[in-house]
Amino acid sequence: MTILNESGVPDVLSPLAAARSLPARLPGALVMVVGTRTEAYLAQTLSAALSPDAARDPLHYMILDADKPPEQGQMASRVIETCAGVSNPRIVFLISGRSAEMMGVDVRFEARVAARRLELPVMVLDPDPDPRSRSCLSTSLEDRALAALVEVCRESAPDRKPASVPASKRGGFLGGFLGRDRAPDRGVRRSPVALLGTSRGAAVDLSADLRRVGVEVSGSVPAIEPSSGSVAGEMPPIGEGTVVAPLDPHLTAACRTAEGRGAKVVRTLSPIGVDGTARFIQDVAAAVGISVSEMGRAREAWESLDPLRNRIRGKRVFLAGDTGFELALARFLADAGALVIEVGTPRLERRAMSSDLHSLGAGVDVVESPDGWGQIGRIDAARPDVVICSQGLYIPLVSRGHLCRTSLDLRRIGIHGYEGARRVLDLLVQTFERAEALDALDL
Amino acid sequence: MRLLRGIYEGPGSHGILRVVASMHDVWAVLRALPSEGYFQALHGAWTRSGEPAPVSVSPVWEKSAGSREPGDVDRDLAAVVRRHPRTEAVVLARSEAALLAGEPTPVVTLPENETGRSPELVTCEWERVGMGEAEASDLALADIVRAHARPAEKSATPTVNVFGPPVFGPGAEAEYDEVERMLSLLGIEVNARVPLGASAAHLRRLPRAWANVLLYRETGDAATLYLQDKFGTPRVTTPMIGAASTGAVLRSIGELCGLDQGKARRAVWSELATTAKLPWYARLQPPETFRGRRVAIFGDFTYTLGLGYALAREVGLEVGACGTYLTHLERDFLFHASTFTDEAFVADDPERVADRLKNSEPDLLIGTYFEEEIADSLGIPFLPFCPPVLRHPFVQQPLMGYRGSSLLADALEDALRRPKQEQSEEENPPPTGLPWTDEALDDLEEIPAFLRGRTRRLAEERARAVRSGEVTRKILESSRD
Repeated sequence: MTILNESGVPDVLSPLAAARSLPARLPGALVMVVGTRTEAYLAQTLSAALSPDAARDPLHYMILDADKPPEQGQMASRVIETCAGVSNPRIVFLISGRSAEMMGVDVRFEARVAARRLELPVMVLDPDPDPRSRSCLSTSLEDRALAALVEVCRESAPDRKPASVPASKRGGFLGGFLGRDRAPDRGVRRSPVALLGTSRGAAVDLSADLRRVGVEVSGSVPAIEPSSGSVAGEMPPIGEGTVVAPLDPHLTAACRTAEGRGAKVVRTLSPIGVDGTARFIQDVAAAVGISVSEMGRAREAWESLDPLRNRIRGKRVFLAGDTGFELALARFLADAGALVIEVGTPRLERRAMSSDLHSLGAGVDVVESPDGWGQIGRIDAARPDVVICSQGLYIPLVSRGHLCRTSLDLRRIGIHGYEGARRVLDLLVQTFERAEALDALDL
Repeated sequence: MRLLRGIYEGPGSHGILRVVASMHDVWAVLRALPSEGYFQALHGAWTRSGEPAPVSVSPVWEKSAGSREPGDVDRDLAAVVRRHPRTEAVVLARSEAALLAGEPTPVVTLPENETGRSPELVTCEWERVGMGEAEASDLALADIVRAHARPAEKSATPTVNVFGPPVFGPGAEAEYDEVERMLSLLGIEVNARVPLGASAAHLRRLPRAWANVLLYRETGDAATLYLQDKFGTPRVTTPMIGAASTGAVLRSIGELCGLDQGKARRAVWSELATTAKLPWYARLQPPETFRGRRVAIFGDFTYTLGLGYALAREVGLEVGACGTYLTHLERDFLFHASTFTDEAFVADDPERVADRLKNSEPDLLIGTYFEEEIADSLGIPFLPFCPPVLRHPFVQQPLMGYRGSSLLADALEDALRRPKQEQSEEENPPPTGLPWTDEALDDLEEIPAFLRGRTRRLAEERARAVRSGEVTRKILESSRD
């Protein structure tokens, strides 16, 4: 494996494109984009252009005037007013980056004022990368939102006796099996594990898998089944003595926040692909003192994937990289028999990615901070069988005759867990089949 | 500080990028934060042309000393020419964050391109925080034209330049095609289409044309004024929407190109007989189709005014309200719109716009994609003819010219098919006037003003859905879930 830092400008969709998905994943979240017209326009237009089926815009925009920045407290008052116009707000996210800061507005102070008066969490999400890592990922905003939610979580459970939380309050799937958890089951350990990840499906599947090996999952951030009560109440406690298992490798800010609170973050493979999921389950279990082997389950999973693997084997895959999950996905595809030509990643968090990097195998080029135009040239030269790329590269690459899927397509189907592994291979097989059918047409 | 539920216009840098992405041999460098990369994705999704947009990002980030990585604006501008040696002009656009960072305008000599010339550098120094997309696109195009246009003899036979909408404009390419088709009927050639499809060579030869036809004032006003002042090229500015305006424009062009009057008249008559169906539609329909029917129009400058004129004069609809979000064109807009409506307005807050349109009690709404929701809530037909639009179909249809007038006739026929009195209460309940209980009104008062209009609409919609004769506190609450 070679790691090369190309120091280019990767094609990464602005993280603001994900602003609209926040209220969809967390009902009761009021999301306000605070800053320039540019930021408001990107948040509004990108999500409308790229997912036209999305519901009508649930966002609010606060556009600041560079010549006349708001007086102290004024912004907080407007946030409070806006909350009055929304039904049952449970948490407020102010998406505000460097432009507001450059206009001399202290959004964090305003958020604190509003939070005190509203008695609700008011969290500031910065879509810009921190100066150390510079490049951003299209998923950066999710990471910041999860970090904010970790801050909102209680530090420790108020009372861990079974009777303290009525089963009916826990709601849905998680409540259901937590309820069962209270039944006398000697195999279940009570070490609290909190899952961290935006995909609801991933949290559901992996909670079930962990539960199968006897690990108690105290909840997920954000909650699998949101309630109408407080956001903190529906999320697991995160603090000293809790174990946090991130489902995605790009959740670096969220993990740092959890570690800052004294929680133990499990550093292992991301639960993407069969072996990744198996190692994830084993290592999370080990972190709470349970020794399990997922080998049998992994073998079963691989066997069930055989028909799909036969179609993938030997296919040459190029991952351009914009979301941060590409390394883990490349590792799985290589294990499934594909030949990974290049994995791009706008930024390489070596600490968070070390397990995925080590298991990537020899012969794979990892390019940090790849140059979007350079990648088009390399893809033209290498002629891979399929390219997994960002939205910006998709159409230019398709027009050059390459078979492409966007990282957004993969995120939509859900790539986590054993079932996610099947869905990934299935999506690629379908892509190849569709291309073959279209190529066979006599136009 | 303004609280809004939506933004009609993008920032200035977006307007500059739209102009550049419309042209060939011109490249834009967007100076922006790493989190502000978007144009390739948006361009791909909306044009689906397969060509990458000629835009690269020069990120504003802390650079390590001595590093040669991107982020140095001078070097990034020069790199464009080395990477794309056919480039004949490089335009610098700055996002608002980059403007706020207060960097000085770069002074740089670009390397030579493949023709052995240094490309022109357009730095858009007039860009400022808060500037809208339309104004910036107008100024950017003027700068690009100024950098290229060279004195030239007028062409031997009459030619004109067509200044139309930039990329992402609804049916932009079809508009140019339609105008070119009509000009060919007069025997006039198009010297250059600007900005869509223009190359540096086209820009250099702009002064050859006998006249400039300004289809889309938002983007071509400053450039055509420059050509008029500098090279004496006259311009025709009437929005070419509807058969009457189109005829007027063709006659003006004919005069400016020295055609004999008979030729223009014959071309117009021939088109009226074969292609232009709006006058025919207006004549065929019984007067009751239009009598007392009100239309509300909201959008940019050209389409809004053009449609206003055509619907008021040619079709005979009453224009109950007509507005634009282009605040920098307020005076001109109000002047023109007041010729066909008493309710002209300028507003860029979607809530205020919704209130104005709704208060005009329209039977038909024409607007941007934002207004569709209002039409839905009023239960009236909606035509998405004004930019910004979200749909960018493969097959584009013109709204300008004679073909455009026929498309308008078809759309009107669908929208106004049922006479007003036949809209039964069950199918199309009265759009306004639902009574509110005092309690519900009290609750409404507590909602901030900028959200009130939408809340009111949703509550009334909800009340109709549950077949309640009035809006109660409970209905108001449930409509906000």
